This record gives sequence, C-alpha cells and structure tokens, in this order.
Amino acid sequence: MRAALHAVLLALCAAAPPTGPAAPAAQQPAAPSSLADLAARLAAELGPPADGRRLAALVVETRAPALAAPLGSALDAALGSRGYSVTILRSPSEAEAAARAAGQDWLVRVQAGLVPGRRELGAVAELVPTWPSFFLQRQPGAHAVPPRVVQARVPADPETTLLARETRPAGAPFAVVRALARVPGRVLALAAGEPAAPGQPAIVAVTATALLVLTPSGEVVARRDLDASAWRPVRGPAAVVAVADLGGGRIALRLAGAPSAEVYALEGDRLARMATLPAAPLCAGDRGAVFGAFAPGTGMLLDQLSHLVDPDARPASARLLYGVTAAPHAGPVAFAALGADLRLALLGPDLTPASAPAAPGEAGGPIVLSGVGSGFALADLDGDGTPEVVASSADPSGSDRLRVLPARAGAAPLLETGPLEGAVLSGAGGDLTGDGVDDAILGAVVDGAHGEETVLLLVTGDPREVR
Amino acid sequence: MSALVRALAAALATAAAAPAAAGVRPAHGGALRLGLPALPRTTDPALALDLPDVVAARATSGALLALDVRGELVPALLAEVPQPEVGGRAFRLRLRADAVTWTGAPITADDLAAAFARLASPATASPHAWAVLPVLGADAMLAGRAAALAGVQVVGERELLVTLAAPLPEFAHVLAALPLAIPGAGPFAPPPSLEPHGGAIVLAHNDRCPAGRPYLSSLALAVADGRADPRAAARALDRGDLDLVLRPEPAGPRGGPAFPATVATVAALQAGRLGSGAEAVRRALGALDRADLARRYARGPSEPMATLVPPALLPGVAAPGALALASGDAPPGFPQASRIALLVPEGASDARAAAERIQVKLFDAGVRVAVEALPRARFEARLAAGDYDVALVPVPVLSARPSLAVAQVAYAIRGPEGFRRALDALAGLPAGEVAAAAAQLESALDLVPLFASAPRATAGPAAQGLRPDPAGGFDPGELWRLGGGAP
Repeated sequence: MRAALHAVLLALCAAAPPTGPAAPAAQQPAAPSSLADLAARLAAELGPPADGRRLAALVVETRAPALAAPLGSALDAALGSRGYSVTILRSPSEAEAAARAAGQDWLVRVQAGLVPGRRELGAVAELVPTWPSFFLQRQPGAHAVPPRVVQARVPADPETTLLARETRPAGAPFAVVRALARVPGRVLALAAGEPAAPGQPAIVAVTATALLVLTPSGEVVARRDLDASAWRPVRGPAAVVAVADLGGGRIALRLAGAPSAEVYALEGDRLARMATLPAAPLCAGDRGAVFGAFAPGTGMLLDQLSHLVDPDARPASARLLYGVTAAPHAGPVAFAALGADLRLALLGPDLTPASAPAAPGEAGGPIVLSGVGSGFALADLDGDGTPEVVASSADPSGSDRLRVLPARAGAAPLLETGPLEGAVLSGAGGDLTGDGVDDAILGAVVDGAHGEETVLLLVTGDPREVR
Repeated sequence: MSALVRALAAALATAAAAPAAAGVRPAHGGALRLGLPALPRTTDPALALDLPDVVAARATSGALLALDVRGELVPALLAEVPQPEVGGRAFRLRLRADAVTWTGAPITADDLAAAFARLASPATASPHAWAVLPVLGADAMLAGRAAALAGVQVVGERELLVTLAAPLPEFAHVLAALPLAIPGAGPFAPPPSLEPHGGAIVLAHNDRCPAGRPYLSSLALAVADGRADPRAAARALDRGDLDLVLRPEPAGPRGGPAFPATVATVAALQAGRLGSGAEAVRRALGALDRADLARRYARGPSEPMATLVPPALLPGVAAPGALALASGDAPPGFPQASRIALLVPEGASDARAAAERIQVKLFDAGVRVAVEALPRARFEARLAAGDYDVALVPVPVLSARPSLAVAQVAYAIRGPEGFRRALDALAGLPAGEVAAAAAQLESALDLVPLFASAPRATAGPAAQGLRPDPAGGFDPGELWRLGGGAP
C-alpha cells in the first residue's frame, strides 16, 4: 500500500503537464546549440592561425543541404573568435583552386553529419594551406606546409537533428511501411519511448502473458512474464502501456481485468516491478502521461482521461473508448481518443478537444475523424509540427490496411497501403529511426505456425527509407 | 492430437480468423437481434435439441470445457482439462475457484454431480443422456434401477471424480459438449420466462460469466421469418429489425461464416418388421445418390455422408455414388404389393423432402413407400419402440470427436445399446481407421447415413463475432456489434 501511495505521488509529480515553455528557460542559462558547440570544438582543435596567416576560405559539405549554411555560420563565428578572417565558399567544387585564386591563406573544408544512431553530430575538418610557397614556385599546387585533419563530435539537439534530416526524394511516398519484428502472441498494447535512459529509444509491447522491450530494430532486450492468476477474465483481452517517468520506473502497464496498474524499471535486460498504480496508464508523450480506467469486466476504456492519477475520477460521458494515444512531439494535437463508434477525437495538451482552424469570424470546431480502426497512433511523420494519424481499417469485413491521415476532418489520406496480412490492433508513435522525426509502430496480429503472432510494422517518413 | 483433428482445426482456424481480418477489436456494448427459425422452447442444455433451443442454451449455460479455434480442448468452467487416470477409466474434474452463476452463487462439485445425474435421470428424458452413458452406473440409473450415478463422487467443494464403466480416453471431449453445461453460467442471464416481448426473448448480459462478460449488453432471440420465405428475413435485415439470421437458406446477399454440417440425417431400418424384404430395402437405400439428396433436398449447406461421421468431422472420405437398380418389379425377396412405412419427424423439412425423394426412388426400384410425418414426441416414441419399417432421423451432433459423434447418432436411433456398440467399435481408434470401423458399425446397426446439413448465417452490417466451433455450435458471448453501444 505504501509502495502504491509512493508511486502515486511520484506519478502525480511526473505526470503533471508542463506549466509553460518559458519557465525553465528563464531559470537556467541556455546551453550552446549543437552547431555552436561543434564549431567551437573544431576551432579549438584547429587552434589559432599559424604565422599570422589569418585568411581562411571555409567550405562546408553536408548530406542534408539544410545543415550546411547554419553550420557554416557557426564555424565562421568560432574560427573568427580564434583569429581567422573567414570567407565562406558556397560551392565546394574546386574549392582549393578558388581559395588560392582569392589569395586565401587556408582552405578549411568541413564535412558534417549525424553519426550512426543519429544522436550525435560529427564533423571532420581539413586545414589546407593555400598560400604560394616561395620555395615551391615550380609546383604551384604544392602545399607550403602539410595539411591537418581534425574531428569533433557533440550530442545532437533536436533542432540540429531536424536540420540534418535528409530531404525526401522527389516523387517519394509520404511514408513507407515495413515489417520490423515478429512477436509471439497477440500484442495488446504498444508504446515507443525511452524506458531505460534518455537517448535510448525502445519499443514496449504487452501481450496477455508478457511484457517485452525491443530495440528500435526489433530485437528483444528484456522480457517479463505477467502473472494473470489474480485477473478477472475479460473477453477480448486488452491492455494499456505508457513510457514515462512514473515513480521508480519508466514503464507502466495495466491489463483489463487486472486489479491495478504496475510500474516496471528496465535494468539492463531485466524488468523489475517497482510499484502499483490505482489508475490505468493510457499513454504518454512530451505533454505528459494520461491516466484512465477500464470499464469493469471489459477491454474498453471509460471516457475518463486525466493527467493525474485519480482513482476517484468519474467518466465525462457514458461513451466507451477503444484507446487513447499520445503524440510523441505534440503540436496543437497532443492526444487522440478512439470511441467504440470508431470516431477519433483529437485532443490538445490539456485533453480538451483540439480545434480545427476557423474561418474568419467563426470559432473552430473539434476535430473528429471517422472510420478509424482500433490499431492507431499519432506521429508527426513529416516533422511539420502537427502529428498525423496512422490507423488500421475500420471495416472488419475485408483485409486490413493502414492509412496515414492528416489531423483534419475529411482530408484525403496521405498514404494508404494495400491489403495487409492479419489485423492491426495496436499502435504507438515515437522516433525509432533516430532522424529526429516521429515514426509509428503498429502491431498486426497474424496466424503463425504455433498460434497467434504479432508483426510489428514500422511506418516512417525517414528519407533514408522513403525511396 | 490426431492428424484428423489437426486438419479440422487448421480449417477452422482459417475460418475463425476471418472476422478478425481487419483492424477493429470487438467492442463492448449494444444489443443484437438474432433471427432463428423459431423461438426457443427451452434454455435447458439437457433438453435443447433444435437450433433455437441450442442457441438459447449456449447463451445461458456455461460449458465445462471449450474448443479453441484450433480444435484443442481448453478450460472453461473447469480449471484444467482433466487427464485420464486409472487407464482412462477415471477423470478428476476441478472447478475454477471463481465459477459462479449469474446470481453470484458459487458453482460447486455438487452442482456438477447434479448435472450428470440429471442427464441420466429417466424423469428428465434427455435426448442427450449419451453424454453420461460412459459413466459407471449410468445404465442402472437410466433404467430406473438406481437413484444416483455410482461413478460420480464429490471429493471436495470444487472437485468431482468421475469413474467410467470402461476406459474412454476421449471422455474429456464429452465434457465440452452442451448437455453437461451448467445452466446460469453462460454469457447471458436466463430469461425469467420464454414468453416473447415485442416478438423476441431478450437475454441480458451476465456480468459474472466465468468466461468474461459478453460483448453485447443484450441478445434478443426472434423468429427470422415464416419459415418458408427467406425474403422476409432478408427484408428484416435490410430494415435493421434483425442483425443476424440463422436459417437454412441465405437471407440476402451478406453471407456469414460457414457452419460445419453436423446435423446428420440417417435412415434406420427395422429389419424385424421388414422381414425378408429387409435386404432389398437396404440395397435400395444404399443405392441412393447421397450427393443428389444433399444438393437438391437439403435447404441449407449440406454434404453427403459416406459414413456415420459427418464429413465436416472426418474430411476426405467420399460418399458412394448412385448404384443402378433394376426398375419396375419388386426386387428379389421383396413381397409384391406390400408397402413400407417411412417415418420422419414433423418440422424436419430436410428429412421430409429427402423422404419424398426416397419414396420415388424406391418406387422406381419396385418398393412402395408411405411417408408418415409424426410430431416429434410420437416419432421418438415409435423410434424407441421399433415401431417403423424405415425412419429418417435427423441428429444434431454435438461433439467434434468422430467416435463420440457416431456414438451420439447411434444413441439417438438405437438407444444405449447402440451407443455402447459404437464406442466399442470406435473409441480410441486412430483417425485413419475411423471410416472403416464406422462403415462396419452402420451395417451392424442397420443404418444408412444420407447427408449432413447446417444452418447458414446471414449477417447485417453491424453483427460481428460469429465463430462456428468444430462441432457446429458457437458462443453467443462472442457476438459483438460494430460501434458497440454507441447511438
């Protein structure tokens, strides 16, 4: 009981929605951006100009075009602070010849990009002497002193990750869907987040008998069997799971029929049970966790959504819900709740209905999408600040298919797949490819050789995958 | 598990997967109106025989064991699938600790023992007494010589020891059959009366159902049509007056899942009455084109029977085709100008249509036949008394196990002695030997299997979750409504 109370108090603190984006920034000095940090480190490695040769031509090459200009500016500033007088060359071709022709002392050629894993920004700089050597006049291309190569690496902040994202090839689809992993049994609930530590994304899956943690590429890193002996039987087993700071652990789940929710901590390859919660953890995103409750004896949720763990909460209506999902990076839409009528209500950070943009002089109405299947997720697949809805088919008579829908009622799908094997019954959003932009993970239940299995499907707009 | 059951299970798993083929989980809430050929007359699993009664009994009773979509036995009211002890002669039945009826009353081993005793009691006159016949002392109780079943012993509040008269390894499959289900423990509460209100009997959901609360808030059982006109049912579906219809013919274009054809229609001969003509009649019946009977004279989905096992339970055995018989004159050994009586039960439209076809075919073969349709009670009384020449008997088979299916057919026609002979011949046989043994048995019991039939489901747009089980039944608790209870 004390453990449960402790968990509730911690969850109350952790789950409270942010009070305002400006508050933390006013109290702490702003950390240097990844670009400024990287530029400063490179400049420090290069050191001050030798022999008073201060003129430097700078050329920056990046795979993502959007990254080159801001990194060039950061390097300009950093090299300037070390005593260089920098001229930025916009064209990398024949840069050395251009630097010589312009009478520059040095060519600083920088190549930068996200390192594999996409959590760090790396750069390699070549410092090439370009002044004509008195002693080598017969060899005009020869270097007066040997070039130097330096390198640096810094953690990538979200802005830099976004700039470093490659552009979508012309004519490419909005997103692609591919199988990521196969999990034994029927996955009842999915979450994507960082259950172990920041910077270590993972997928959390719940079946009727086990809790699993998988890497973004689908390998199981931890598994724990769930004890169903105390559960009340429910037709159509269902579960909810959230990854957030929830008091002693970062994974909270509840199965329909179970007496309480449970909080687990991922410790290496072990899932340790830490506490219980008297409310169902429905989902979590950057706007906090949402708690609710199963309708007694069923796998459906009550219309009872709250950022607080409140076992005495009362439903707002008699409506039953299939599930609630959170946008990993919220915009005007932060959460979505799917009713038994297969209508998806989009909700703002405060769990009130998100409003559609209004015509001049009119109030915007709530955004409700019809015909959304019960496997669904919110994910900002294109990084435009507004999450899209990824949803299974709402027609139980045919084959399942996935659609990516804009967060606007009546809008045409951005993507619609062909028929899929199995039935997509669970989903969640999160950055799994490491490009800084959301992806979605959906679970399709299929008949396997040894019973039901779930194929985890990755839906991503990562340009490296969208061809 | 035998290869046969695996093959059957694979087919059923495919069929059962179909309703979950798209991304919508079953929703809780809402009401559903199910159209049946008639209103149920009973919800008692010990007495339910016709489709409406069987549906009502399944809706309000809890099975001891169930079959999953792969045909495997899984626990239901019992905590585990009992394993044979003492060489297959004893089974220990342990009830789940949370097994209660809809009123909240715990289900105890005494209730279980009472369910066994009730089936064996002559006062019940259950058509499903076959389900307890393997139990030690069942013969004596059925014959009125004993007041209790000697082989049923309550050994604890939730534990029952059942001792059989002879080893029967497949007895656990008997426990999955409807007759031994416990009334009041089903997904829906039993109705206060079977008087219809607004043309339907409405069953409210049972929150305490040990298998879990049903998806629906309520299930209304209504009459689909005037029996003869499938268009009436189709119109009711279109209007939304019904959500799902079970009847022989389709009620409109929206087909539901196929039911395994497990209602076996079998011709029984009374050799003692036919005398020297028995062999001629036997030959004439054996020469019938069973595929033609199944195709043209059964209203619903049907298959010709090669043996006493419905083909849905024993796939891969072909029914014999038509044999040529000399026409015109009476066959050798059959007295000229005599006429035989062919009994059929009233209301069994497939059997009646088949009887009339048989009448023509036997006339062509020189045998004159008078078809007599009798009310069910009189039909059964004359069948039990052997007061017929030939009878066409429709038997709704309730077990997916071929040996038990044959034993049930044998019991329905030849009584306890037939049941025992069937089990002696078939119990424990591997799948590959069942067909040959069943063929020998049908000669010994003077039975000619004709065809097996099933109802057909037609669903409206909202009705979901109909999953026929291998024995041709379904769990009404699994029915759900697209959109749940949303207005």
